[in-house]
Amino acid sequence: MTETHGQQAFLDRIARKLGRPRKSGVTPPVWNSPLRPDTERDVEDLIRQFTANLEALNTKVVQVTKSDFPAALSEVIERFAVKSAIYWHDPELVQLGLVQLLNNCQVQHAMCPHAEEGEGFRSVAAAADLGITTADLGVAETGTVVLFNGGQRGRVASLLPPHYLIVLHETRIVPSLAEVMTQIGRRAAEGLPACINLITGPSRTGDIEGDLAFGVHGPGQVQVILLRENPRNSQAASPV
Amino acid sequence: MSGQRAEFAERVAAGLGNGQMRISVPLTQDRLRSGRNRAAAELGNVEEWRDRASAIRMHTLENLDSYLEQLADNVRKNGGHIHFAPDGQSALAYVEQVIREKEAKSVVKSKSMVTEEIHLNNHLQKLGVEVVESDLGEYIIQLAGETPSHLIAPAIHKTRGDVAALFSKVANRHLSDRTEELCAFARDQLRRKFLSADVGISGCNFAVAESGSIVLVSNEGNARLTTTLPKVHIAIMGMERIVPAWNDLDVLLPMLTRSATGQKLSVYVTAITGPRRAEDADGPEEFHLIVLDNGRSDILGTAYQEVLKCIRCGACLNVCPVYRHIGGHAYGGVYSGPIGAVLTPLLEGYEEWKELPYASSLCGACTEVCPVKIPLHDLLIEHRKDEVEKGYAPFAESAAFRMFGYVTSHPSLYSFAVKLAHTGFGLFADGNVINNGPGPLAGWTAVRDLPRPARQSFRAWWQEREEGKA
Repeated sequence: MTETHGQQAFLDRIARKLGRPRKSGVTPPVWNSPLRPDTERDVEDLIRQFTANLEALNTKVVQVTKSDFPAALSEVIERFAVKSAIYWHDPELVQLGLVQLLNNCQVQHAMCPHAEEGEGFRSVAAAADLGITTADLGVAETGTVVLFNGGQRGRVASLLPPHYLIVLHETRIVPSLAEVMTQIGRRAAEGLPACINLITGPSRTGDIEGDLAFGVHGPGQVQVILLRENPRNSQAASPV
Repeated sequence: MSGQRAEFAERVAAGLGNGQMRISVPLTQDRLRSGRNRAAAELGNVEEWRDRASAIRMHTLENLDSYLEQLADNVRKNGGHIHFAPDGQSALAYVEQVIREKEAKSVVKSKSMVTEEIHLNNHLQKLGVEVVESDLGEYIIQLAGETPSHLIAPAIHKTRGDVAALFSKVANRHLSDRTEELCAFARDQLRRKFLSADVGISGCNFAVAESGSIVLVSNEGNARLTTTLPKVHIAIMGMERIVPAWNDLDVLLPMLTRSATGQKLSVYVTAITGPRRAEDADGPEEFHLIVLDNGRSDILGTAYQEVLKCIRCGACLNVCPVYRHIGGHAYGGVYSGPIGAVLTPLLEGYEEWKELPYASSLCGACTEVCPVKIPLHDLLIEHRKDEVEKGYAPFAESAAFRMFGYVTSHPSLYSFAVKLAHTGFGLFADGNVINNGPGPLAGWTAVRDLPRPARQSFRAWWQEREEGKA
């Protein structure tokens, strides 16, 4: 009650200072002219741009078909010397046989739990070498991946371990941030998940004499495995 | 001569006399500014982006009551709490109430200028609560017992040697001054704090009215840890830091990150919409949002309204020849550089801050670079006019000369005055974007040649001061 009372006084004051009566339910204007050039780009263009942006940020992107996923995963595990991993509960990862592959590589693993088992998982997550998630969207313009967290798609998988692997399907890559914002805005009506993350490369800082350093809080090393449908389009993992 | 004036003169002298600052501030300015210029040029039509960003911010301010109401409705719908705080006192009382209810002993914070504005850390420490700043730069200056000297690079005045000494003291062992070792130490140290903290307190880069979300921008990931690990999350926002809809962020997010560091997007953009849901594996159980006025509403409907468009990118600091020489601390307030010189007197009054509008050469570089097109140097001129009208003596008076007696003995000050004009030109020389705009040098001359007494350039003011002394 007092909370709402404080709100009314606060908002009334704003209206008074603006020299007009209180407003409610204003609809935002539609900004018509697009700021980006309207260029048609096919999936190959988008993938090229997405990859180039991430490679400039010290992040390797490898393109594989589903059948080559096991080899690509082994390579990541070897590259980052992974002994333990945490991952999302995600049908896409199940389909790729992630658990079996981690077993084969003798990696200890744990899936983001149901809510009630959350506490114990935190210490497991804090000690894990690698986090693995899928991504809902990729953004060519920036090299960003978009994660709608929630349920067993925990926030910590992309945050606590020093290494982070993103499994992204090629059809999820959109040209620009505009498509991302439109999708989030569309979902806003029915309510958004408690946390959405846009992630663009490894955690970084320039706070010590402007010297670029990775991994000060989040993962310092990030890799993307880009899943391709067409084997002709896939390529062997190339070194960064 | 008031104590405040003396303090301002001392701060300027301290900035000019600080050898490390004289090296690190220009280096940081150059690094961030050239990044910004590259990122702006990449857009191809940065002027259109600035126009749009400005229009979005103007529309938001003009309808602020409506959008804040929508935000409040949606925050509650999402299961969060929202508190409207008319002043710092009210915000502090609310935070204190949550802390007491939760019997919280420790707080981790991610970078928030607004909490500096209300002296939150001080207040929490008085309550016996441990407060840890988690942004690396903020952590460094917290250990040093100092305040930020730059909006987005708060510890630029510290050398790696300073940092190694501060961290070694915490570690109780000798740490080298290698960046990797220092970062690894901070990661380990702060991670422990994160895992045990009771409450996380964050700022807010943008609130989104249509969904009741707050959006946080960070490169290190500390804002994510702050909003993920502790059981309670309190976010504090200045009341103007809101956009109507997600589509607006398509413009404002890149404008913020490109202008701040030259990044197409920051490493992390995190949208928090209420507390964790029942089925979620992680996230805080409670979400509180504090919307702070603290003098902002008094700016609405005045000649200064546009200053509230600010998205805190720091681009104006990076092009400012005065900031380059005196550094952030000389401004004395929470916000430094041109934005601080405009904003601080508005939030806290002329009595204490009347010198700040004169800490500018009026070269207009700040206005040229501002991603939301705040006419910063016009507003500085407006301040000078207002000060005269309100009876605050302009600096040409003898009292002011005496005050600057503090500084005149300082050898670097003369060279500062001499260099100022040259620096201004140098700053424009590599501005490939600025060249596309209206001629900056024309702007410089126009301002300097204007006959109105209040429209006095830093250099003109300086010359008068020199003559007065003779």
